[in-house]
Amino acid sequence: MKNNTTILTVITYAVLLSAVSILLNDLREFDLQQFKEFQNWAKTANKSENWFTSKNAIKWSYYAISTGLFFWRAYLIYGFTYFLSILSEVDKGHYFSDNNIKYFRKIGNIFIAYTINVLVLRFLLALIGKSSFNFFTEYKAEFTLLIPCALAFYLLAEIFKHAKETKEENDLTI
Amino acid sequence: MPIIVNLDVMLAKRKMKSKDLAETIGITTANLSILKSGKARAIRFSTLEAICKALECQPSDILEYVKE
Repeated sequence: MKNNTTILTVITYAVLLSAVSILLNDLREFDLQQFKEFQNWAKTANKSENWFTSKNAIKWSYYAISTGLFFWRAYLIYGFTYFLSILSEVDKGHYFSDNNIKYFRKIGNIFIAYTINVLVLRFLLALIGKSSFNFFTEYKAEFTLLIPCALAFYLLAEIFKHAKETKEENDLTI
Repeated sequence: MPIIVNLDVMLAKRKMKSKDLAETIGITTANLSILKSGKARAIRFSTLEAICKALECQPSDILEYVKE
């Protein structure tokens, strides 16, 4: 068991590091390619123009939403760090601990929050860019697979809760 | 819980120490302590049988039902 958890911990660390490096690279590319353009535009933007009806709103919203998308990706990576906490608990021999139940629920919450928020942000992006947004097309995207995953984690949390109660019952049977 | 464990009483009657009983019936002193303090949720028939054999008594001498 000890060896298995060590292997899983190493794999999780590798996945997390690659996810973080991809995110950082995307952030860098976003800055280099688009932020300079945005800065130039901001210098020349007509400041007397009404904010809500102008291009200003569209540009600012675009950057705000893009930042939001990066935030949610970082939040998803943070969610994956709970796997390390679970593995650490398992390594200590605390299989059915309260912490594990809490971590499973948290992962479920993070997956659901990520999917819903990214869907909303994509919808807003499509709205700003005046492009078409089809909910079902978006819903078919890979990231929505996180919803069944989240449900599976909620289920795991419930199973672990019952397992903990059964273990307690068993421990107090003399 | 309305079930009272009178193991202390029987141990006193038989002038036996908890540690000796735990060794005789093959459970840990920690578990015997859980049983004596009434914190146990259940008792196995095999444990009850071993206790009755060691203390030469009946299950009713150890377990008692008291209305709440």
